[in-house]
Amino acid sequence: MSGIGSNLLAPIRASEQLIERLLFNSRGLVLALFTLLTVWLLVQASQIRPDASFVKMIPTQHPYVANFLDYRDDLSGLGNSIRVVVAATDGDIFDADYQQTLKQVTDELFFIPGVDRSALKSIWTPNVRWTEVTEEGFVGGPVIPAEYDGSAESLEQVRINILRSGQVGRLVANDFRSAMIQVPLFDKHPETGEKLNYQQFSAQVEKLVRDKYQRDGIRIHITGFAKIVGDLIDGAVQVAIFFAIALGVTLVLLFLYSGSVTGTLIPLACSLVAVIWQLGLLKTLGYGLDPYSMLVPFLVFAIGVSHGVQIVNTISLEAGQGADKLTAAQRAFRAIYIPGLTALLSDGIGFVTLMVIQIQVIQDLAVAAALGVAVIILTNLLLLPLLMSYAGVGRRAIERARRSASQPHSRWQLLTVFARPAGAWSAVAVAGLFVLIGLYASQDLKIGDLDAGAPELRADSRYNQDNAFITANYSTSSDVFVVMVATGKEQCSRFETLTLVDRFQQYLTNVSGVQSSLSLADVSERVTAGLNEGNLKWRSISRNQYVINASLSYVPAGLMNSSCSLLPVILFLDDHKAETLQRVTEAVGSFADRHNSDNIQFLMAAGNAGFEAATNEVIGTAQYEMLLWVYGVVSLLCLATFRSLRTVICIIVPLALTSLLCQALMARLGIGVKVATLPVIALGVGIGVDYGIYIYSKLSTYLVQGYALPRAYLETLRTTGKSVAFTGMTLAIGVVLWIFSPIAFQADMGILLTFMFLWNMLGALILLPALACLLLPKEVRVSSKEVSDAVQ
Amino acid sequence: MRIRTITLLLAWLAAPLVSAQADRLETPAQPSSRAAQAVLTDIARLPQRLVAVGEQGTVLLSDSQGDDWRQAQVPVSVLLTAVSFVDDQYGWAVGHDGVVLHSSDGGTSWQRQLTGDRINQLRVEQLQQALAELENADSPDEEQLERLQYALDDAELAREDGPSVPLLDVWFQDRNTGFVIGGYGLILKTTDSGQSWQSLDHRLPNPDRFHLNSLLADSRGRLWIAGEAGLLLRSDDLGERWQAVDSPYEGSWFAMAEQQGLYLLGLRGHLFHSEDGEDWQPVELAQRATLNGAIRQDGGLWLVGQGGLLLERTADGFVSRKAPVRRSFSAGVASGEQLILVGEGGVSRVAMAAREGAK
Repeated sequence: MSGIGSNLLAPIRASEQLIERLLFNSRGLVLALFTLLTVWLLVQASQIRPDASFVKMIPTQHPYVANFLDYRDDLSGLGNSIRVVVAATDGDIFDADYQQTLKQVTDELFFIPGVDRSALKSIWTPNVRWTEVTEEGFVGGPVIPAEYDGSAESLEQVRINILRSGQVGRLVANDFRSAMIQVPLFDKHPETGEKLNYQQFSAQVEKLVRDKYQRDGIRIHITGFAKIVGDLIDGAVQVAIFFAIALGVTLVLLFLYSGSVTGTLIPLACSLVAVIWQLGLLKTLGYGLDPYSMLVPFLVFAIGVSHGVQIVNTISLEAGQGADKLTAAQRAFRAIYIPGLTALLSDGIGFVTLMVIQIQVIQDLAVAAALGVAVIILTNLLLLPLLMSYAGVGRRAIERARRSASQPHSRWQLLTVFARPAGAWSAVAVAGLFVLIGLYASQDLKIGDLDAGAPELRADSRYNQDNAFITANYSTSSDVFVVMVATGKEQCSRFETLTLVDRFQQYLTNVSGVQSSLSLADVSERVTAGLNEGNLKWRSISRNQYVINASLSYVPAGLMNSSCSLLPVILFLDDHKAETLQRVTEAVGSFADRHNSDNIQFLMAAGNAGFEAATNEVIGTAQYEMLLWVYGVVSLLCLATFRSLRTVICIIVPLALTSLLCQALMARLGIGVKVATLPVIALGVGIGVDYGIYIYSKLSTYLVQGYALPRAYLETLRTTGKSVAFTGMTLAIGVVLWIFSPIAFQADMGILLTFMFLWNMLGALILLPALACLLLPKEVRVSSKEVSDAVQ
Repeated sequence: MRIRTITLLLAWLAAPLVSAQADRLETPAQPSSRAAQAVLTDIARLPQRLVAVGEQGTVLLSDSQGDDWRQAQVPVSVLLTAVSFVDDQYGWAVGHDGVVLHSSDGGTSWQRQLTGDRINQLRVEQLQQALAELENADSPDEEQLERLQYALDDAELAREDGPSVPLLDVWFQDRNTGFVIGGYGLILKTTDSGQSWQSLDHRLPNPDRFHLNSLLADSRGRLWIAGEAGLLLRSDDLGERWQAVDSPYEGSWFAMAEQQGLYLLGLRGHLFHSEDGEDWQPVELAQRATLNGAIRQDGGLWLVGQGGLLLERTADGFVSRKAPVRRSFSAGVASGEQLILVGEGGVSRVAMAAREGAK
């Protein structure tokens, strides 16, 4: 372990001796303690529940979201609703059977707990009416006439009523082949105070509506936030299957690699214990498992296995040199403890840097991952050697270790070419080329989500198909950006307020990407025209406050609050691409700067697009901040460990190249920088640095022993190369299956993490020795000798 | 009257809270990249140009028969309700808050000639003057005196109420003489291109102060005003004296048109025709949407209305034409081979000749 800083790592070294004594002198006691803890945490872990909270996925510190949270209760009528569309596949809606189904679905939804029944809307509910101006004034009635009997005449009446109700494009599709039921939800039940359980609600809607009424000729489409959350949780649960597959594949690989039953089962068991502990601790600390942190157990398992492999590998080598079970385990512990701890600490610190991002799911992910890494220190650095000291690796593994140690020629010989100047130069040149390619390709990297619909789910998921159906057939966009206009109490409907809002909405017509907007001003204008026999020439906000008040005697839910101090302006956007959102926020911001006063403030933002805009802004700045932190911390850690800037460069440059290429890959695949992909680089770098640390610490041992670099590198590869390669494999296997997750961002994370784990491994195996060859001066042996003296 | 008092009280209470924000009468119209899809209320055809007006001070110009539109400079941002040109230079537009705008360059630029405040002031001054003249007369007609006094009280209240009455139509005979009419029986006349205005409210037989919706000068030199609740007025001396005409219908009229006789267009598809303006005959239509405006061209006549209504006069009566949008039309003109319609959804164009499946 030469090359390790004497001062900074002194406590770690001191702890090594202490822990080694504790661990190996009272093995039974320690084992009992571990068993007890595992049982208790297993009970805890089994109670952990999937959880998806809307607020956790958005940056609550961002002014937009803070504004939304301030007015959250006032805005409750907005947004949190689901839309159920009943579509006639072989005809139109003017059919008695169809109408019967629509009525039944409306009734069914009415009785599902959590539904705000008074605000439920379909052409079958009495709150949806048609109106007409006559010589005597307004006349009107429900869209479905009281005398409806399913006859051709009454269906014709329904058709007329729909046309004059103005619901075409809203509750009735533009092509008259489907109709919508708008189902507003209570976040908290007004009577019981119970929070809405999205998953349960979503399941009920599936069971009571889709399963029951979808048949030949009738299709059901459901969208809305509650449905997204339900689908997310359902999808996330499927990920458990991936865990089982990853476990199986790892088991086989591990056996092929170690050739030892105990050397396979014990690292696997210890890694599983780590997962149990991690989940149990999360539950104990009050966390749930959201679709983001759901991936942490995979990482914990993979990291656990990769460290376990290092230990088993070392034990086999020691045993091959003739040590008994206990001594081999003890020596392996001694050899692995410091680099293992350093590597795990760097993993953990890499994860902790995610805390700088003010989005709770990312912070939760950081906590879960850091906790997992901390747990691995206990289970795989302590428990694993302890168990191995009882079990041993088995004769076959020892034989294999002995054989490979005495083998003069090795496949690894190939790689040593990179430790010689010619190979090193070509490796660096290729890396330089990759840098250029990476820089060029990553220019297209976008912030935010790029696909239509619910970006959390796959484009071809049922939810997004439903959403696309509604977008295609109804005149409402699913990308909603809400500007909150705050006034004094009872001031929201004043002439000055409404005319300014009116002007604001006209101003927005200049912002490309804004399809249309809606506010109290529109209601006032339309009703004023309505009060004047529907004459378009009166469609203006009256200067007469009395007329305004009359025009607002009935305001649809969500367009003003009860104290008339807030009126939301709802913007319907073409999409939620980052540029669109940026254009909107810039335009709104500039209008607000010019017009905000003590009396009126234009505040951003609510609505899914509003939150996305806030998230994009946070991520846009956080991505650099996070890179700075993660590279800064990891570099410092390497500097403290190896006390040489050149070494730090050898380890960090391959990582940086991978990060750059990862961004280029994202740009190529159309994956934006978003809540889900932001942590990937921190995770990739944090875990990727392990390879470098393991390889370099071993390499410097051989350099100190006086070997030339190529030889030292060959020896390094012969001892740890295999386990490094294996580590890369296990990590990649752990994450590669996520690519098949029904949740789009998990798939994105899967692709990117797999890429990063594999490239980091290649970088450590090829670029690290090349850089070392070019950077390390001849006297490195001398200086490292000094260090090693200090260490010993 | 009580309503106005309450409003006044409210306005007074709210006064200290009023921000420094500029009023829409003082704020120039905002450019909008989607102005051609804004709510438009009227359109005028100049020899080489189309001029459409609408919400928030929007004035649109097209020199390409509606292929493309640009926005004119307008000093106000109120809803404009009507536009009228006498030649390729001189035109007027009216709107809410009593706004009268004038252009002497074919609609490219507009000046504010009148606002509701000035109208209110004019009414009070002119009624005071008329009252004074009447009182000084040798034998004042008591009934007339009382009527004027009542009108003056009303005008004074309206003045305190602010410029809240919209103008709804405008017609100019030539560059000098023209009329604007509006809500609550408002009518003004100018004989000097809008430099000065005269309020004619009190000369109209409109005791209930119904809205005046549409102004038409027919080929016999008579002026017609059609308004709310079946109000129909006629002047044979260019607006000096007005008389009520027996209306064939009690609902509101929204427009009048002359094409082989006179047509009255009203609420819920009520259409009446008269050869001479004396005897009105109902014209049966197949639907009941409100009629808002008429287009005449070379003997042809088209009617537009609510919900995308477009009717064409044929030998078999009025037949429905398929309109490009389902949203309401307010007015239209013929230009070249097409009809240019304006309304709720902005500008729409329809081929003039009816073809099967024409869009």
